[in-house]
Amino acid sequence: MNRRVVITGAGVVSSLGIGVDEFWSQCLKGKSAVAGVPENWPYYAELHSRLWAPLPDIDPESLGVARAERLQLDPVTMLALGAAREAIGRAGFALASAGERSRNFILSGADSTRTGVFFGTGLGGAISFLQNHTHHLLRKPRAALVAYADRHGASEDRAALNGIIAQMTHGTRFNPFEVSMVMPNAPSAAIGIKYNLTGPNQTYCVACASGTVAVGNAFRAIRDGRVDVAISGGCEYFADEHGHIFRSFDVSGTLVRDYADPQTANRPFDEKRSGFLLSQGGAAALVLEELEHAQHRGATIMAELIGFAETFDAHSMMSLASGGRQIERMIHAALADADMSPGDIDYINAHGTGTRNNDETEAQVIDRVFGKSVRVNSTKSLLGHTIGASGAFETLVTALTLRDGMTHICKNLDIPLLDLNFVRNTDRFNPQVGLSQSFAFGGHNAAVVLRRFS
Amino acid sequence: MNANVQQRVIKVISEILNRKESEIRLDASIRDDLQASSLDQMTLYVALEDEFQRTMPPEEVTELATVKDIVDFIDRKLQETPLT
Repeated sequence: MNRRVVITGAGVVSSLGIGVDEFWSQCLKGKSAVAGVPENWPYYAELHSRLWAPLPDIDPESLGVARAERLQLDPVTMLALGAAREAIGRAGFALASAGERSRNFILSGADSTRTGVFFGTGLGGAISFLQNHTHHLLRKPRAALVAYADRHGASEDRAALNGIIAQMTHGTRFNPFEVSMVMPNAPSAAIGIKYNLTGPNQTYCVACASGTVAVGNAFRAIRDGRVDVAISGGCEYFADEHGHIFRSFDVSGTLVRDYADPQTANRPFDEKRSGFLLSQGGAAALVLEELEHAQHRGATIMAELIGFAETFDAHSMMSLASGGRQIERMIHAALADADMSPGDIDYINAHGTGTRNNDETEAQVIDRVFGKSVRVNSTKSLLGHTIGASGAFETLVTALTLRDGMTHICKNLDIPLLDLNFVRNTDRFNPQVGLSQSFAFGGHNAAVVLRRFS
Repeated sequence: MNANVQQRVIKVISEILNRKESEIRLDASIRDDLQASSLDQMTLYVALEDEFQRTMPPEEVTELATVKDIVDFIDRKLQETPLT
């Protein structure tokens, strides 16, 4: 008989707040974080979209990251560490110091050799690469230009040169830790090091499906008996100094264009949707645990994971295959893995990005497989798109929905593109089984199935 | 020697090497007495850059053996025009 897998802890660092309670409270209030991009970014490029979902100011110390660690970690890893710390604390594991001169911990109540880390990210420490590259490229030319201006600049020329010099920003150092900051496996490695977890330690780089694939593989590792406990989730961070990453999404035409009213620009599944709202980043972590292991510890169980599947479109790097046949196949495989049928599903946390193609294809598939009764929402309508973290956030929202019997609205949905049962209010209902699905650049599709635990 | 610089350097060393400030004597060897590995030393110099907002190129810090060497080096750096 398969071992059962439950969620016993969760942690969040997000644009909607830090900590699961704050995040979920904001979700249920239908809050969203929308703001203009940093003022200096439009200097470097003609941006079509100028909105994103910024993170609050975060003191790394509040995430449990000391200066010695901050100086050698990319922000994406700090976010992952912060989310993992909350998740492990909520799961009820006591922490012992790993040594007199160590900042790391040992989990009591878990065999470290049978505890794994399964984390997803889209771009990993890309901003550390950009920051170091900017330093590498600009430090000498900028210093030379400053020297030239000092020697030759007449008053008017000097003012013009100063304007150029002011835009040639490059940070103060080429960080000697760059390699370990940039590598996509840094977040999962940092979590494993911080908590002395010596089981399998895996990183999943599957763009927007990274978080879902990470959770799904953690689920399988526990169900198959390879580990008893898994720290799983996803993380992302996009705030490079010059808006390079934002531009790369913007230039591909994927971001929100309707910003006459910034608060309504992000509108998944609406007829007037124009693209997705890019998030500055975030991290969501889940502690997954074998049921008897969790019960033996007396852990509080949030929900049960019962199925996972993934398929691949083999169609396009940037666009879903129209018709969504591989998505449909994935849903049926996930339901079969969970020993469920479409009629058993009460709630779907959709990928729901707000792009023309995604929402149309996804809505058609949901209609074909589930019909019009299942409740559907898009967490991205509140949070924006956290790319590699999104699947982890959405798995968490699905678990919280099942636990609490209520979920958040699908925001800014005035004219639905299809007549589905989109969530319009936070009225209580009685969901027993939910599905969270993600689709990614490249063509990756993944879904997890969760059941209310009672 | 600038007492303020000395105090801040000792604080950073204490923080990075996880040692009590009272254990950090001026004549202490970074490598032998404080047992800083090469990785610890790299972290220490990045932290000192962060603390004093001055660059500390690897080729300039390899000669620094003791806590006092570091304090003197930072003192000199602070006299120079900051690199931006």
